[in-house]
Amino acid sequence: MLEVRGLQKSYGQKKNVLNDVSFTVPLNQLTCLIGLNGEGKSTILKAIIGLIPVEAGTITIDGEKKQECITFVPDLSTMPSYMSVGEAIAYMRDYYPDWDPQVADELLGFFKLVPTDRIGNLSKGNKAKVNLLIGFAMNRPYLLLDEPLAGIDLFTKEQIAWIFSSHYMEGKGILMTTHEIAEVEHLIDRVIFLQNGTIIQEEDSEEMRELYGKSVQDRMREVYQT
Amino acid sequence: MLLHFNKRIPIYLQVLDWFKKRIVMGEFKRGESIPSRRALAATLKIHPNTAQKVYKELEEQQLITIERNVPSKVTMDQSVIDQARTELLDNTVTQFVESIRALQISLEEGLINFEKEYTIRKGSELDA
Repeated sequence: MLEVRGLQKSYGQKKNVLNDVSFTVPLNQLTCLIGLNGEGKSTILKAIIGLIPVEAGTITIDGEKKQECITFVPDLSTMPSYMSVGEAIAYMRDYYPDWDPQVADELLGFFKLVPTDRIGNLSKGNKAKVNLLIGFAMNRPYLLLDEPLAGIDLFTKEQIAWIFSSHYMEGKGILMTTHEIAEVEHLIDRVIFLQNGTIIQEEDSEEMRELYGKSVQDRMREVYQT
Repeated sequence: MLLHFNKRIPIYLQVLDWFKKRIVMGEFKRGESIPSRRALAATLKIHPNTAQKVYKELEEQQLITIERNVPSKVTMDQSVIDQARTELLDNTVTQFVESIRALQISLEEGLINFEKEYTIRKGSELDA
């Protein structure tokens, strides 16, 4: 289990961008971090992976500091735009010892990506697919997905969401931020509600339906509009 | 296949219902193997955990048998399937009765319309 404890972050004068943020990401589950714009969702993901410094807080996996078990999948392309999709995959394969070429091949086919296409010429949806392909092929137990569905057309979104119903979910603990909750709420195991840099609720999505007859969107309205 | 889920009802219950109907309708036949959990999740576009939960529930209700390393199968026991059929019928009738009672329609009027609609549907099925 990935455990985040007491994350504290300020940006200059802006205090408490993150305020004592604590939660867990279990294996074999899709956990969704929800919040309105500017609540600090991406900041949390970047803090977990160590991309930005924090004033306080610990990130542990099964009680130990093992950041090499976590992959961050950004919402923007990080591969150089002059590279082709195939070159980007080969580059990552050479760089990461745990790279799983079979996963990369399968996802390349499934996402209908063309290896000779240049990264710079890809649509936003195809860039997101390349990011996810790289994330899953790195073959680490924990994945942080930053807005994997933002600004992407309906059919591409459906293709991407397919991954959440696939065997690639097995053995993985996934933490995702998204505003596209309607498209994925039936696929989510747990929801973490974030407001003003603080976690205000953590809920099991099936329990939300079973005990209260509410959808994740219903709960969002209650949490953020009252 | 895309199921249109009601997002206020547990997803696993909706898939469970879908699956039971397939057994009762004979799409998944008595004693025959059923899709793997992975295949079910991929086909219905649901989380593998949900597929897992549905199969566990179906096993508890003795509608399927799960053994290690072989495909799971629909029960051989016809009485269990009949029981599921009765349960589905009961649920449907309950919903129907609740709907017409809410509209303050009498039993007689409800039955007349039910019979008329049933006959029309059956007729158009035979024509097709």
